[in-house]
Amino acid sequence: MQRGAWWLVRLAGDREIGAATLVFCVLIVLPLLLPAWILTELSRYFSYMLLAASLAFVWGHCGMLCLGQAVFFGVGAYTMSVVTLGKLGFAPWLVSSWLGIALGMSIAAMLALVLGVFFFFARGLGGAFFGIVTLAVAVIAERLATGSRWLGGQNGLMGVPALQAGLNAGAEIHDEAVAYYIALGVLGIGVGLTLLLVRSSWGLSLLAVRDHERRAEALGVNIGRRKTEAFVFGAVLAALAGALFASQFNFTSPPLIGFVMSAEVLIWVALGGRGSVVGASLGALAVRLAEAWLSEPLGPLWLLVLGGTFLLTVLVAPLGLFGFLAPRRS
Amino acid sequence: MHDLFAALLDVSNYVLILMLVSLGLAIVFGLMNVINMAHGEFMMLGGYVVLVCHQTGLGVLPGILLAPIAIALLGLLVEGLLIQRVYTRVVDTILATWGLSILLKQLVVLGFGPGSHAVPNPLPGLASLAGLEYPAYRLFIMLVTLFALLATFWLFFRTDFGLSARCVIANRGMAACLGIDTRLLDRFTFACGSGLAGLAGAVMAPIVSLDPQMGLGFLVPAFLSILIGGLGSVATPLAGASIVGLTDNLVSTFLSPLWAQGVVFTVAIVLIRFFPTGVASRRPRHL
Repeated sequence: MQRGAWWLVRLAGDREIGAATLVFCVLIVLPLLLPAWILTELSRYFSYMLLAASLAFVWGHCGMLCLGQAVFFGVGAYTMSVVTLGKLGFAPWLVSSWLGIALGMSIAAMLALVLGVFFFFARGLGGAFFGIVTLAVAVIAERLATGSRWLGGQNGLMGVPALQAGLNAGAEIHDEAVAYYIALGVLGIGVGLTLLLVRSSWGLSLLAVRDHERRAEALGVNIGRRKTEAFVFGAVLAALAGALFASQFNFTSPPLIGFVMSAEVLIWVALGGRGSVVGASLGALAVRLAEAWLSEPLGPLWLLVLGGTFLLTVLVAPLGLFGFLAPRRS
Repeated sequence: MHDLFAALLDVSNYVLILMLVSLGLAIVFGLMNVINMAHGEFMMLGGYVVLVCHQTGLGVLPGILLAPIAIALLGLLVEGLLIQRVYTRVVDTILATWGLSILLKQLVVLGFGPGSHAVPNPLPGLASLAGLEYPAYRLFIMLVTLFALLATFWLFFRTDFGLSARCVIANRGMAACLGIDTRLLDRFTFACGSGLAGLAGAVMAPIVSLDPQMGLGFLVPAFLSILIGGLGSVATPLAGASIVGLTDNLVSTFLSPLWAQGVVFTVAIVLIRFFPTGVASRRPRHL
């Protein structure tokens, strides 16, 4: 009882959780104020925000610079598309959205598990080189997706149905407000779970691994296993974001699983704040909003501005715009 | 027999270019602990320098001579403005150079358009080599890259500069204590590495289509070469480049180019897993 009360007190005083709650409340109220088409746009950003949260966890909290986080995003998106479009060869009648989401998350988890086992055990792959290897994974994933006719080749899969409420297909959810709240719910659950895990003893051990691997190992943490667990969690979160994305945007294509997307997420997280899950999500939102606002008038200059801002942030403000939200350990 | 020889020459072509790119990357990483994600873009820019030389009437061959110098100067500029602010934090060097690569790519898109460009072959026609007819320009590429590799080795193993550089690679702090100007070496080395990339891009320009995105296609194999070969000395990445280049070509020829990258990567992963410090390296490198 005593412990529980203290925990609540700590949570209440936590800046990041406070910010998350505030943002969440604002987002809940927004549908009452905004027209329906803005809601659709906004709910699409939620998938991106969840993806950014997953990378912030894997990179910012656990110290694993993954330059291929979009691979898991793409896995989730493609699985969702394949299932809901009835492309499962052995069971074309299985078109459940739930199955799509669950399967996407499972496949991403398995992929992350295999990669983790290969990269994190024995001497393990150092931070910087891990990044390069994940970059290679992203490049290859995009190649495979482009070359696969079953996955739609270069054009990807179109006409992916929106989320269907039934157990195995049913009415598609087209009401903007409902879809908005579902997406918000998914984002809330994903980010909320991550925030709690970050503050758990498991999350603390990951911080130890990030800051001084040898010392953590000497203190009894199984480095390979811990890193793989974290990597898998990040992958599952990204896949969830991807599955949501596919149902919202109604398509999936190779660039989503490749390097360009991975680099985009990286930029969102670097700009938003790599140490804070909430900060990174807000960073994704901010960049996406800026892009929606600026990319038309600026044209090709937009990427220049983005790249330049990214560069400046890395040089001058490495913690990111919302980095001050990162939980402090004292 | 002739087919085998031709295939061997093709493989050597690719391997030599990859060696050139990897060497530049490895030198910079070995000496400065900086991972230059814009290395591919330096290569791309080398190609575009040749394009500019061709378009302004200077000629392709002078362009190939000019490119490494131009890119080396660019490297000097980048080092002074960017690298020296981040080289203490390895992970941020990746991000900073990644940002730089985005900037460079976009500048090229703004300057030359997003499409691809072609540079004419300055040495068209076939040359006769031991009874085999082989494109003359490809032989030229091999000669140039071999020369560049040997020159780099001469620089690192036969000159005082090279000795100082190897000192700094071995133990930076101690080298500084001994009076070696590490900052000057940083600048020079980064310029050198960039110049090598520029040369690789320039020499390849006539036989590939130049587009702003071509850098990535060489960055990944170059990094994999370094990972496989290890960073123990200046020579080890070359072993890695050979393995990567050989595997890529063999799989491309006998299976399909689509599988080639996947297979190369899988082989790389397996090798890295079992030889974490590289197949050729004896010294462990703590990252």
